Amino acid sequence: MPREGTGWAIVSYLIGGMVLYGGIGWLVGRWTHIEALTGVGIVVGIGLSLTLIIYRFTRPSR
Amino acid sequence: MSNLLVLTTASGCHFQSKPSCGYPAPTIEDFFFKPIFSIGGYQFTKPILLMLLSAAIVLAVFWLAFRKPKLVPRGMQNVGELGILAVRDQILRPQLGSRGDRYLPFLVSLFFFIWLMNLWELIPVAQFPATSKFAFPVGLTLVVWVTYIFIGMKHQGPIGYFKNMAVPPGAPWWILPLLSPIELLSNILVRPFTLSIRLMANMLSGHLLLLVFSIASWYLFSATIGLLFAAVSFIVFLLVFVLEVLITLLQAFIFTTLTAFYISDALEPAH
Repeated sequence: MPREGTGWAIVSYLIGGMVLYGGIGWLVGRWTHIEALTGVGIVVGIGLSLTLIIYRFTRPSR
Repeated sequence: MSNLLVLTTASGCHFQSKPSCGYPAPTIEDFFFKPIFSIGGYQFTKPILLMLLSAAIVLAVFWLAFRKPKLVPRGMQNVGELGILAVRDQILRPQLGSRGDRYLPFLVSLFFFIWLMNLWELIPVAQFPATSKFAFPVGLTLVVWVTYIFIGMKHQGPIGYFKNMAVPPGAPWWILPLLSPIELLSNILVRPFTLSIRLMANMLSGHLLLLVFSIASWYLFSATIGLLFAAVSFIVFLLVFVLEVLITLLQAFIFTTLTAFYISDALEPAH
């Protein structure tokens, strides 16, 4: 049985990843004047968050 | 608009009154109160009064319950023990186990304080959830946040805590610079943010729903077809009221459970 706070941890990883890499994408987009980089950053953030979630919650602990 | 005009339209403004007036919808202004009194720049408003009352009542109940504790509880001590054991067995033990008993006073205070502040939404005369003012959940969240970071740093060492948090097991080394910021951001920033917003938004929306349907019942109340609409609106108001009885308890429970979870997360060295 997963622990009780796992659901919220997963949600916060997703939100954190989207905010962080969306923010980085937005800043880089302003620098390079390519506005679409914000969206690219958000998608990259989702991908990295999912990677983190998989590493954290499906691998056996150290 | 002069005050007199506001008063006459407020009292006479119904669904089909002439001149026709629209539905006086509740706004965010309903969450801001004129101060009961002010000292210099400090305004003492109704939410502050409700918060102080909640604290006083929780303190009084538990003080009365355990003033002269006996091994076989009598009277008020039964109630106090019921409250404490409920928090311990439903919230603390599932997250932390027996080693968490030292955090029981903190969680008991948190649970009953939040529950009572939420309950003012439903109690006549008060009818305002103190926790819907963002400052109160933020204050509580700050206490919880400092607590679990401090506990983590104490049990795993200040560097070790952040190192253990930032490194997921089994990840290849080259991906760590990309994943660690997410993890650090999520644990250190997103957790307190969601904890406070969850409590505030639930209470704010509950209060708004009650406002919408109670104002609608009054606004639609007339001797015409409006009476049927008003009755339906009032029935929905009653249903929302029952829902809010559940939500007030549930939000206090969720806040306290997540606090226990964050503390247990801070206590264990690695996943």
